[in-house]
Amino acid sequence: MNMHIEQPDDDLLSAWLDGEIEGADRERVQGWLRDHPEDAARVRLWAADRDALRARLAPTFDEPIPERLTQTVWQGGRRTPGRPWLQAAMAAGLLVAGALIGATGMRGMQPAREVAQTSNLRWPQRAAVAHAVYSPEVRHPVEVSVREGDAAMQREQEDHLSRWLTRRLTLPVKLFDLRAQGFELVGGRLLPDATGPSAQLMYQDSAGQRVTVYLRKPDDNTSAAFRYERQGEFGLFYWVEAGCGFALVGPQSRERLLALAEAIYNQGQAASSPAR
Amino acid sequence: MPANDVFRQQLLGVIPRLRRYARSLVFDSTSADDLVQSTLERALAHWHQFDQRRDLLVWVLSIAHNAHLDQRRRDSRMSVVDPERASAEQDAIAADPGVDVALRLDLINALSRLSAEQREPLILVSVEQLTYAECAEVLRIPVGTVMSRVSRGRAALRQWLDGSARPAAGQRGLRRVV
Repeated sequence: MNMHIEQPDDDLLSAWLDGEIEGADRERVQGWLRDHPEDAARVRLWAADRDALRARLAPTFDEPIPERLTQTVWQGGRRTPGRPWLQAAMAAGLLVAGALIGATGMRGMQPAREVAQTSNLRWPQRAAVAHAVYSPEVRHPVEVSVREGDAAMQREQEDHLSRWLTRRLTLPVKLFDLRAQGFELVGGRLLPDATGPSAQLMYQDSAGQRVTVYLRKPDDNTSAAFRYERQGEFGLFYWVEAGCGFALVGPQSRERLLALAEAIYNQGQAASSPAR
Repeated sequence: MPANDVFRQQLLGVIPRLRRYARSLVFDSTSADDLVQSTLERALAHWHQFDQRRDLLVWVLSIAHNAHLDQRRRDSRMSVVDPERASAEQDAIAADPGVDVALRLDLINALSRLSAEQREPLILVSVEQLTYAECAEVLRIPVGTVMSRVSRGRAALRQWLDGSARPAAGQRGLRRVV
């Protein structure tokens, strides 16, 4: 906006407060306010009201999102409701299900729109099963721990874990840093999967709650977007990106898991395109 | 074709801001979430119309604005702010410790007394921190109109907070804040 200022009217002062006035006009408004304390006081009150409005409405922003709204986002416009497979797998007994789950019998239960992606989507259930099996372990939650000894030793263990899993999966396995989200890496393990090895990384927060990240080579390299499932007590986000299938599993709320999934996704992106 | 998961994910990300905006349109939290829900449903029904180069928040806020307008037109008996609901909301806020209760009570009360035409641009610019151009896009009004409505909204809010404007008959009085 470009206008000559004699006496700025309230519209202009208000726009100045909102950062909408630029360049020379901005300077002139500031000069005017320096010389006219009454106008400056009025603008300060507007600014105080603005800050009070923000503070007043902030709690709504910080509240957890009501379940019915997340439901709407995931179910809205779909013909078929969520899949019952994981619940069925849980009911059937986790260990037994783990042995059976690579079978093809699940395909018929999936909504038609997902048929093209079926080969990518069968494995997340194995991630959920692996989480259910290993996350309650107190003494042996992981095969390779990264929490022994001092900081230097821990770094060495992390290097070892990353190199080992990278070699076995023939995928670059990055150990994600989730400390900003309140989770420390416990360690990892190698797991059998129908088409080859997969890896499980385990993280734990200060309350001892765990999440696991399941990594594997996808059956084909087609990228697949984030998907979320919540069945029984676990939620899982899974996706395929840059030739790697990711699944994040844990008992946390969807919001909490989403924050973790995003952190993992972003760190994966940064690793696969170092130029950015 | 149903919306894809990337779109749903993005939509999930704007819900906190959408809820906050809805709460400044309808002050009762359940009604506000009803508005959010119908906004999300509309967004999912028309997702193919969204241009990915645009800001999803601006697009969704404009849907919320329209949904709210439709709601007001459908039920013209319902005032924009139901005084009973506003009172219930105030009681809930008053029970919330750790804040300047007198100021917050008066703030929400004063805000509810602005016309929707003044309140919406003021909130979009002050709280959602949209630029005037984005606000104009949400409300489908010219930028110059945004500028004057924000300014008038500010002045009106200040008058109510100063106690220099008188509440209409039948409405709760305002407490003066110095």
